[in-house]
Amino acid sequence: MALKKAAKKTSAAAVPPQLLWKRDGADFLVTNDFGHYSWLKKKDFDSLLACKVGESHPLFAALSAKGFVRDRLDFDGLAAKWRKKNAYLNTGPGLHILVLTLRCNHKCLYCQAAAGGAAAKDTDMTPATARKCVDFAFNSSNPGITIEFQGGEPLLNWPALTAAVKHARARAKTAGKELKLALVSNFSLMTEEKARFLMENEVSVCTSLDGPADLHNKNRCFSGGNSHAVTLKWLKYFQKKNEAQADGYRVFKPSALLTVSRYSLSRHKEIIDEYVAAGLEDIFIRPLAPIGYARNLWGSIGYEAKDFAAFYLKSLAYILKLNRSGVVIREKMAAMMLDKIVNSRDPGYLDARCPCGAAIGQIAYNYNGDLYTCDEGRMVGWEGDDVFKVGSVFKDSYAKVMASAPTRACVVSSNLEAQPDCARCVYKPYCGVCPVYNYEVQGSLWGDMSSSDRCGLFKGIFGALFALLKKPGNEATLKKWVDK
Amino acid sequence: MRNIKNKTVLVKVPLADYDLDTVRYAAHAVSRAAHVFIKLDGRSAAAVEFTPTGPVSGKAVAASFRAELADEKLRAAIYAANRELRDFMILKALSKEETPPQAPQDDSGLTPEQEKELDALIAQVESEIKQEASAGASKDPLGITRTWEDKYGAKKSRKKN
Repeated sequence: MALKKAAKKTSAAAVPPQLLWKRDGADFLVTNDFGHYSWLKKKDFDSLLACKVGESHPLFAALSAKGFVRDRLDFDGLAAKWRKKNAYLNTGPGLHILVLTLRCNHKCLYCQAAAGGAAAKDTDMTPATARKCVDFAFNSSNPGITIEFQGGEPLLNWPALTAAVKHARARAKTAGKELKLALVSNFSLMTEEKARFLMENEVSVCTSLDGPADLHNKNRCFSGGNSHAVTLKWLKYFQKKNEAQADGYRVFKPSALLTVSRYSLSRHKEIIDEYVAAGLEDIFIRPLAPIGYARNLWGSIGYEAKDFAAFYLKSLAYILKLNRSGVVIREKMAAMMLDKIVNSRDPGYLDARCPCGAAIGQIAYNYNGDLYTCDEGRMVGWEGDDVFKVGSVFKDSYAKVMASAPTRACVVSSNLEAQPDCARCVYKPYCGVCPVYNYEVQGSLWGDMSSSDRCGLFKGIFGALFALLKKPGNEATLKKWVDK
Repeated sequence: MRNIKNKTVLVKVPLADYDLDTVRYAAHAVSRAAHVFIKLDGRSAAAVEFTPTGPVSGKAVAASFRAELADEKLRAAIYAANRELRDFMILKALSKEETPPQAPQDDSGLTPEQEKELDALIAQVESEIKQEASAGASKDPLGITRTWEDKYGAKKSRKKN
């Protein structure tokens, strides 16, 4: 009834300020542009729509402070909140992914990276190209940049890695930028000497850990030995070095990524226990995407969005149970989304930004110096379609890359205000779409969110998080995840 | 509402109550469960056909669509009423300075070297004044430091003729 009455009103003073909502049983979740949210009972939601939340209303103070009451809007405070939440709009690409080689010594079932065999050296980046890529990254207008070394397996191209690291450290001394260096590796080629070089140059390390040995090795086939054992060995090595620290440089905690295949769906407890046993305090539960090699095997390793959502929900519940018994572990995706929901902060998760991080938040540098909007865009290029190629470090200026047609197309198509479903979605203040995913799966940069599995996944994750936040016991625990 | 060819369900929406955009967005919201076809039914109504693509029945899709229609009409009204306010708020957020304004600092327009030189000169003059004062130079035999009034008395007013 209140809905109909409110819809009939035409003057601005008679309707509430901009808000989005979703029915959840008898309750309503409401959010707004500033990232505030509130759970409301039906009668309170009706009062809000009818602009009848006056000073005597029990929710007046809370809803006013969050910008839901038209004549109590704190313009300065709300504008500051919006600015903080969208701070990335003023910076430029912060993440620079250098694909040092397409070669890899693993053959993972879900590989999106279009990896080549370990002998195909023609896909190695030369040290000179690596230095050129570093120079290009330092052109970014972002005051802090992260250079991430990926592959294939980046340790297969040690000369380019060392050249890039040394050059980046030298450039940082004069460029006045904060520099972070990161390596994503399967650790199978790690040695004491390489580890020392990485630590001395403050390169953080991240690896893949898919769970217990049988599951990990099933997903991540390695003909050269036991991938799981090697991963754990070096994880522990870097953990010990982190605990001991060193004179003159910082040793970072190692981290790990989990990719969920169909084989993982029934084993959430074992996987999380494996992470806890390995001394990891974060687990990043990432769904498979039908891109690259995974697309060919989707029938055997893929799953529907609802299957992942169920797995994710069970995992979150188990992690919270562990937290209550004193175990320190948190789920990374949830932590990043919570940072947006609870702190109105941008956690740097480029996949869930508006517009998405393609080119304006990250750039992927292929082994030959070609530039792509992101690593996923680079993979599409490797399949023969350069629709996401934005330039080359040898030919194009930073300004030209930022103004290139693919950059602009990604910005426009990932603007949630222009997506018919997203513009009306209660999770819009925290979400983002991926033009590369849309292009690969649905054949257009815009995609169709009503039938997108990625949208279904994100809605499942947000639904789970808001349902947990509704319960005071969970809310306190979850807020601790992002209280730093 | 009526069934067409068993699976497809037709819903007629009076355009006097809901404009075409509202119908379109509401239909979009349920398009995960059904193929939707919208056409005009005369001048006063939209005919919306739902053909389910999964386990959800056409009847259930039509019911969801009707619920979405009411929500969508309200969303459209809220969007329209808040357009200028949103523009204002986002412009305010984007145009504000990143850092809080700092207290204005004195800017002499001099380089650090010039500032240093000036400080040295001031210190030199101050020390000379001190030396002169201690040497009795402050006696001022010519009366230079005395004011006009001290020397010649207060100004007298003139009478106008």
